[in-house]
Amino acid sequence: MKIVLALFIALWLGTEPAAPAELRFVTWQPDTAWVWDQAIAEFEARHRGVKVVREVGPHSSTEFHDLVTQKLRNRDTEMDVFFMDVIWPAEFGAAGWALPLDQFFPVAERQSFLAAPINANSYDGRIYGVPVFIDAGMLYYRKDLLDKYDLPPPRTWPELVGQAKLVLSRERDPYLIGYSAQFKQYEGLVCNMMEFIMSNGATLWNEQTLRSTLNDAKAKEAVRFVRDQVIGAISHRGVLAYQEPESLALFTQGKAIFHRNWPYAWEAANDPQRSKVAGKVGILPLPAFHGQKSVATLGGWQLGISRFSRNPQLAWQFVEHMTSNEMQKRIALYTGRGPARKALYRDPEILKKNPQFESQYETFVLAAPRPRTPVYLPLSNIMQRYFSSAIAIRDSDIDRLAGSASREMDRVLDLLRGRSQP
Amino acid sequence: MKNSQDPVWRFLLPSFVFVLLFSLYPILDSFRLSLYRMILTLPWLGQKFVGWENYRDLATDPVALGSLATSMIFVAVTTPIEVLLGLAMALVLNESFRGRGWLRAVVLVPWAVPTVVSSQMWRFIFNDRYGLFNYLLFGDATDRYWAPLAEPGLALMSIMVADIWKTSSFAALIILAGLQVIPRELYEAASVDGATAWQKFRHITLPLIKPALLLALLFRTIDALKVFDLVFVMTQGGPADTTNVLQFYGYKKIFAEGMIGYGSAIAVVVFLISLLLSIFYIRLLGSGLLAKERRT
Repeated sequence: MKIVLALFIALWLGTEPAAPAELRFVTWQPDTAWVWDQAIAEFEARHRGVKVVREVGPHSSTEFHDLVTQKLRNRDTEMDVFFMDVIWPAEFGAAGWALPLDQFFPVAERQSFLAAPINANSYDGRIYGVPVFIDAGMLYYRKDLLDKYDLPPPRTWPELVGQAKLVLSRERDPYLIGYSAQFKQYEGLVCNMMEFIMSNGATLWNEQTLRSTLNDAKAKEAVRFVRDQVIGAISHRGVLAYQEPESLALFTQGKAIFHRNWPYAWEAANDPQRSKVAGKVGILPLPAFHGQKSVATLGGWQLGISRFSRNPQLAWQFVEHMTSNEMQKRIALYTGRGPARKALYRDPEILKKNPQFESQYETFVLAAPRPRTPVYLPLSNIMQRYFSSAIAIRDSDIDRLAGSASREMDRVLDLLRGRSQP
Repeated sequence: MKNSQDPVWRFLLPSFVFVLLFSLYPILDSFRLSLYRMILTLPWLGQKFVGWENYRDLATDPVALGSLATSMIFVAVTTPIEVLLGLAMALVLNESFRGRGWLRAVVLVPWAVPTVVSSQMWRFIFNDRYGLFNYLLFGDATDRYWAPLAEPGLALMSIMVADIWKTSSFAALIILAGLQVIPRELYEAASVDGATAWQKFRHITLPLIKPALLLALLFRTIDALKVFDLVFVMTQGGPADTTNVLQFYGYKKIFAEGMIGYGSAIAVVVFLISLLLSIFYIRLLGSGLLAKERRT
């Protein structure tokens, strides 16, 4: 017994941080790994004796969320720095999981970032993350096919549907579809549907009254449009099981006329190694409905620091390094992701490689956030169920589904009442 | 005479402590948590004792009731098929023929593959563009290709197929064990009496493997009720929420939404259903065993 106890103590002492400067970074496997490897190596070189240990989680936002929140719930002191999807800072801040970064990240410094991601990282008057790159929904299209039939790039959704129908009927290719996007029941569905709804002048919720607005006529009209004019009309029903990779693969194989995706798809679609349509791709802001404005969902990833980190000072130095001007420039250059720092949209080197950043700057600036609230995940699950039921069932009763989804959302939002909203 | 000196108790103690620590304690703690309103992302609400409120909410939550129905359909369809297929496989594997050992190993492969891997494999098979499923059905007629995982009417069935493929061999393993303890003499005696193969199966094999069959059914029912990984990898509950089984719903409540109290109530309900089913099967099983003891 004594021996066992002694062993235990030895082991326990053994796992105490031998070198005080080990930093655990919970990340996902990036597409262009060397950019990140290099940045981490530079950080280690600059801070002698510091070792950055990477823990690689799943790339899916939902699954990554489960991993990170499990560590935070358990008050895991091992994890220092982690990636956050743009929809999490409010939740992590409210739950007391993410360290408020106000002392490190002064308001003046925040000015050099785009306002949308800074707002997304703020909750209740504090800031919980530093944006690494931002995403916004974009429309990719086959320039060659549109030119072939003398069609102008579409500005409205009905125009897009009409053009797709025309090209499909002329091309007579059974593999070709009109619109490839993310319609599986998961977080991406909310992003896609929100773009349809908001570009019809409607919203998902009212931030002031804390009420769902999914039951408004305009919101339902947009959902009905997707069910009747997109799914099963210009898209095959397979898109109902698509996330980003599947929908992009279809486009890069030359089997989709229009494609909705994040900015990284530009790089992938124009790489002759990976894409059969390299050089034939155009990019546009997403269409809108008649008389309305185009809306792109704001996405993107931030770095946050765990409140249970033993070394927040060093963690901050790492975050600062990874979100520096230099680093964001490299991410923009080599991965095609939109930088979060404003100045980089005027950087000649970046614009030479990614000319679309200049024309898309406004899309990035105006990108619409998903509801910023600590109960975003329950709201999102309700919306995912609603949207998927509404568009996947051919004769769905959208009025009834929208009514019950909206009531369910209101019940969740009721939990926030009695506490002043930021 | 049983007292603390009795060595039996000392031998039983370790497993008793193990069960207490790793089974009973989590169950009781889940039950305790299910009586609270506790939402991790809203810490200011605190941990409030709400009695049966979570259970009352659950009884009127259309999503939960839908999930329960989905789980029940899943159990009702997959378990009988798995046990029947398992029986068929076990009967074949119990015969002596060349390469039997090799075949026995092969049959177990689906069961040995981690579910996450096989789920991913089935996701590819059911892919709407390059999946093997479509190629076998329609060949090059790509305009007729189906998207099983995208159709509300087919997604659950696709997951059932993946589950049946994977776990039938597990049922076969248990039934095979039951077959192997049947004494040869019984069959020989039956042959002497001129019994047909069917009569031998009906009057010797089936009664004697009843405990094994029930055991396979019990294991498969409980496992099917708790199906999670297939849904997690293949559909995430969609499309139109048609594959949102109860266990997956509970997982989402606790792990994604941080609703500890409500999610625990779901976990307790899943536990109670498996407990009831287990008691039911064990009584069937027990009566079979008791009857056998009386005969001897």
